[in-house]
Amino acid sequence: MKTESCRERREVLGAYALGQLPDEERASLEAHMEGCAACRAEADSLIAVSRLLPHADPERFGPAPVPPPELGKRIAATISAEQRTRGRRRRFRLGLAFSGATAAVAAAVLAIFVLSSGGGPGPEQHVSFRSLPQGVKIAATLEPQAFGTEIHMYVKGIRSGTLCAVFMRGPAGDDISAGTFRYRWGGDASAVLSAALDLSRAKALVVHAGTRTFVAPIDAGSTTLRNQTQEEEPT
Amino acid sequence: MASGALTRERDVREAYAAHAAELYGFAVRSLADSGLAEEAVQETFLRAWRAGERFDPEIGSLRTWLFAILRNVVIDLGRARAARPRVAEGGIEPSTEPFDDALLSWQIEEAMRRIGEQHRQVLVETYYRGRPYAEVAAELGVPEGTVKSRVYYGLRALRVVLEEMGYED
Repeated sequence: MKTESCRERREVLGAYALGQLPDEERASLEAHMEGCAACRAEADSLIAVSRLLPHADPERFGPAPVPPPELGKRIAATISAEQRTRGRRRRFRLGLAFSGATAAVAAAVLAIFVLSSGGGPGPEQHVSFRSLPQGVKIAATLEPQAFGTEIHMYVKGIRSGTLCAVFMRGPAGDDISAGTFRYRWGGDASAVLSAALDLSRAKALVVHAGTRTFVAPIDAGSTTLRNQTQEEEPT
Repeated sequence: MASGALTRERDVREAYAAHAAELYGFAVRSLADSGLAEEAVQETFLRAWRAGERFDPEIGSLRTWLFAILRNVVIDLGRARAARPRVAEGGIEPSTEPFDDALLSWQIEEAMRRIGEQHRQVLVETYYRGRPYAEVAAELGVPEGTVKSRVYYGLRALRVVLEEMGYED
C-alpha cells in the first residue's frame, strides 16, 4: 500500500540499495518493507541496478568519442558502390537467363545489354603511380562500365590501417568519389571501387592515403599507361 | 525478403543514425584505436547490410544484432592485429577484457553519461569514491537528505536509461 510514509522512505531507497544507510535507518526501512510490497519491489529493482555499478570505471564517465562525420558517408558510399555492382551482376545473370529463351529474344536482350553498357566493355587501363615515397606502391586498373568506371586499386607499403579515399578527376577538374578502403598489412592489398564517371572523360586518378594525396593523370587515348605521379600538398 | 530486414540503403542510414555512436564508442573503448574503431563500425554496417535479409526483429533488436556483428568484427581485428607487428598509436593498450565484460562495462558507463550531471556526481562521490553523505552534502552546499534523494533518483534514472538502451541481462 502506497502511503505518505512510503514517499518519504522512497528517497532513502537509493542509499539502501547501495548499502550506505546507517544501521538504524536500515532496520526501520526493512521493518516498513516487511509490510509494503511496493517499497520492497522498488528496493529490489534498485539493488539490481546497483549490482551493475562495479562493472563501470568512473574514469570513463567523460564524454564518449563521437564517430567522425565522414564515417557515415563512407559507409553509404561503399554500400552504394556495392549495390551498383550487385545490380550489374543481376543484369548480367538476367541476360544469361533470357538467352535460354528464343534466339530472337536472346539477341534483343544482348543488344540491350550491350547498349546499356555503352557499347560493351572497352579496354582496361593500367595506371601506375610514380614518384611515390620509398617502399610505397600504388597502382590501379580502370575498367569502363555502364555505370562509369570500375577501379581495381592495389596499394603496398603504407602504414597499416591507413584510410585511402579514391577519386576520379572529371574534365572540369571536379573530383568524383570512387569510395574508400583501408590498407591492411597481411590482408588483401587490393580493393575494387567504382566511380560514376566515364573512363573516357576522366583526367586523373586521385588517391588520398592518410594525409597525403597522390595524383596520376589518365590518358583516355592509350590502353596501358605509365603515368608520372604528382604529389599534392596534404589537405 | 523478410519484413524488417536491413536490405535497403535507407535502412542502413537509419540504423547508422540510431546506433553508430554507441557502436563507435564501444569500439574505441575495446580497441583503443580510433582508426580501427572506425574500420570496425564500417565493417559492422557493411556486414549487416550484406546479411540484411537475415535480420529478423522478431528474434532480437537491431541494436543487439549490430553489437553481435561488431563482436565478430572486433575479434577479427584483434586477430589481425595480433598477427602483425604492433603499430603504436597514442600509447594506449587495447582492452584485454573479454568482449562481453567490456560490453557490459561500456553500457553502464554509457548509461552513466546519459543521466543528469547532479545524479552522476552523487553516485561518483558516494559510491565510487566512498565518501560520507555529510561530506558530499557540505561540499555541494545542500542538505544530506538531498544527496540521498539524488542517489535514489540517480539509480532510477540509470535503470530507465539502461532500459532505453536495450540493456539485456
